[in-house]
Amino acid sequence: MTLVQALFYLMAFVALGSAVFVASTKNLVRSIFMFFITLMALAGLYVLALADFVAITQIVIYVGGILVLILFAFMLSGRENLNYISAIQNKFISIRKLPALLLAALFLIGLINVVVKMDTGNLEWVKISMEQKNDIQPTIEMTGNIGVNLMTHYLLPFEAVSILLMIALIGAAHLSRKEVAV
Amino acid sequence: MNFYLTYFFIAIGLFGFSALFALFGVYAERKLSAFIQDRLGPTETGTFGSLQTIADILKMLQKELIIPTAADKLLFMMAPAVIFIAVYLGFAVLPWGPGLAPAKLNLGLYYLFAVLSIETLGILMAGWGSNNKYSILGAMRSAAQIVSYEIPAGFAIISVVMISQTLNLQTIATQQGILSSEKVTFAGFWDVSNIGGIFSWNVFRAPHLLVAFVIYFIASLAESNRAPFDVPEAESELVAGFHTEYTGLRFALVFLAEYSMMFMVSMIGAVLFLGAWNTPLPNMGVVELAAWTTGAGWGIFWIALKTLSLVGIQMWIRWTLPRFRVDQLMNFCWKVLTPAAFACVLVSGLWRIFLM
Repeated sequence: MTLVQALFYLMAFVALGSAVFVASTKNLVRSIFMFFITLMALAGLYVLALADFVAITQIVIYVGGILVLILFAFMLSGRENLNYISAIQNKFISIRKLPALLLAALFLIGLINVVVKMDTGNLEWVKISMEQKNDIQPTIEMTGNIGVNLMTHYLLPFEAVSILLMIALIGAAHLSRKEVAV
Repeated sequence: MNFYLTYFFIAIGLFGFSALFALFGVYAERKLSAFIQDRLGPTETGTFGSLQTIADILKMLQKELIIPTAADKLLFMMAPAVIFIAVYLGFAVLPWGPGLAPAKLNLGLYYLFAVLSIETLGILMAGWGSNNKYSILGAMRSAAQIVSYEIPAGFAIISVVMISQTLNLQTIATQQGILSSEKVTFAGFWDVSNIGGIFSWNVFRAPHLLVAFVIYFIASLAESNRAPFDVPEAESELVAGFHTEYTGLRFALVFLAEYSMMFMVSMIGAVLFLGAWNTPLPNMGVVELAAWTTGAGWGIFWIALKTLSLVGIQMWIRWTLPRFRVDQLMNFCWKVLTPAAFACVLVSGLWRIFLM
């Protein structure tokens, strides 16, 4: 086993283990902090896949932004709400969980099906791009590529997303401002 | 195998450096504050009180590690480590001299920005874990402040990146001196590629970066929770903010993180704006001061000098300015710094198109 493979399995194990903890624990604040570990392990997996820009973006946006926001929401809400969640009866099999279990089982079957049927060693499109030298080397710098593509090929979706974010910002500002007396 | 050993040595060396710097920084801060307030500061332990902080840390190491009964023990114990490691990770990419950088990451600057945001999480962890009203209020103030001030700091950094066209800190450093492979101009018109010195620093290559530097410096004060932005630990209101409940070694770790953070934000400022490890002395005809004072050893000297001067200014500001109120803090960030930073980005774009 090479070092890269060892690292992959380590990261994958950490990501899955912490994700299971996040989903199963009743202490919500701890589960948020555990989610941080899941995100870091995911960033590590991205680095192993040579997507370093995506890995760092993941940390900037999820850890620096979304996790902090979730924590804020927590700390601004009272302790009673948190206690309510940990007081819920939790049996592993109950009728309320049936839809979720069914969905999860179907998804698992689908995934296993894909893994078994797909011959990952010799995929057609991978071979073609290897022949055409259309693959990413570890030494290559991808940031410029991402920037150029965003501003040429994907300009329309990029602008559409920015308008969407703008609308959300204006909406948030409107909702949070003081009511003017008529 | 030697390859990996070097990594370990460098990592341990950087850790030792940040610990030493914290010791020296606390002593310097106490002497400086004493000078500003017309006192003497520590005088008894060692010559001029120079052993005072070593005595302090020895005392701190012996103290009992108290965990409050109501605290979330795991979060409480892990928080100081998370806070310190977040800062310490940043040291991995900072360039110290020509060819001297622990890691030559092509996304170095972006990585730094990401790593700094992890510190917020550590502070929130400490605040929540302590289970104390003052701690949690301090942690929330700190997080709100860091998240807000990341925006002007980020845009000031982007305006530099637009001029230098790279995120690699070592490349940004090289561009600002006589070792640069491309043409360097002073204020866009005077070719100083072979003159170097202070004229080729980023703040003089494009003078609007001077504004960006001031914005970055103010925002970096807020990000390291230093006065006048120290509402998170406002002694008169919150006891000591998020680290109220910490004792002994854990408290020392929080302090270590604060001083390492000061050093790191100053060093980022020096690298991005003030010519990194390049000499301030220009070549003048046959007197080739810039060529004589550029090299690995000189690089470490210059970057340390620039960084320590910025740290000194941080301390000077801390002991001369009163604390901001929370609403003033937010107004200042969103209504003054952020628009100014946007203007810098705009000017950078125009500069790049018309003058470079």
